[in-house]
Amino acid sequence: MARTILVVDDSPTVVKFVSFSLKNKGYQVVTASDGMEAIEKISSMKEDIELVITDLNMPNLDGYSLISTLRQSENHRQTPIIILTSEEGTDDRQRGMEVGASSYLVKPFKSSVLLEEVSKLLQ
Amino acid sequence: MKIDDIMYSKMQSEIAALASSINEIVGKFKKLQHPLTESREKVPKATEQLDKISEQTAQATHQMLDTVEGITQREEQVKQRLNTLKEKITSGNLDGAEELIDSLIKTAEQTYEDVYTIMDTLQFQDITSQQINHAASLLEEVELRLHKIISVYNGQDSSMTEECTDSEKAKRVYDPHADFSDKKATQADIDNLFARKAES
Repeated sequence: MARTILVVDDSPTVVKFVSFSLKNKGYQVVTASDGMEAIEKISSMKEDIELVITDLNMPNLDGYSLISTLRQSENHRQTPIIILTSEEGTDDRQRGMEVGASSYLVKPFKSSVLLEEVSKLLQ
Repeated sequence: MKIDDIMYSKMQSEIAALASSINEIVGKFKKLQHPLTESREKVPKATEQLDKISEQTAQATHQMLDTVEGITQREEQVKQRLNTLKEKITSGNLDGAEELIDSLIKTAEQTYEDVYTIMDTLQFQDITSQQINHAASLLEEVELRLHKIISVYNGQDSSMTEECTDSEKAKRVYDPHADFSDKKATQADIDNLFARKAES
């Protein structure tokens, strides 16, 4: 059965691009345009989200808050989370790691690198 | 009261009124100084962002065109090889057919990789969109400062303008450092940081 990945980004281009790469490798993809919608989707879905890919700068609820919220939930304490962002500053990386991200990829990225990271984290 | 005293008293009150006007004018100029300085700094930043967009859009477009050129050139070779293969099959002479098939498979794999290169390059849309939002936000701030200057001149309350523009600005979410350049070195640093975390 296909593993389900949640892609959270306010850029429709990034969502489409990442979804294309993941679906091409057989993953099932659920998308959200910000942290708030991501939490709503996770709460209402029957199937398990096995990995989350999230941007940081988003309206309503940003990536840091989304990760913190997920890490407080019993069901997602261990779910792998990849931050996908154009923020490359030292403070951002440090904060990303502190809130509980599993990995951090800087935009622009190669889809092969993202797919490799997804595969590694889902092992 | 003497006439001189009356004159003196009148002059005194006129001078006091004049001093108060001068104070008010100085205060207004002081208020103008800050928005003017801020505006002077923000316009070049916005210009810099717009130049970056133009440069990086061109870079991404050239990269995609080069890749598409490579694909179309290979497609010509694919056609020729398929024709040769067809002739071999028709004539029943299959010498070299296997090599031809292998080369066609390699070409197909290369084209698949090229499609991903184009997809990767298309991320410039997201990056430039963030750069445009940053430039727009800087120009909005300049607009706000200019509104403030007009308000000060007209003796109006400038906080109203600020509140209004702040609510507009809140709609823009962007990374001011978004850049299309290669991030290999940065990514390696980040990977090391997360690897250390995983080990600890």
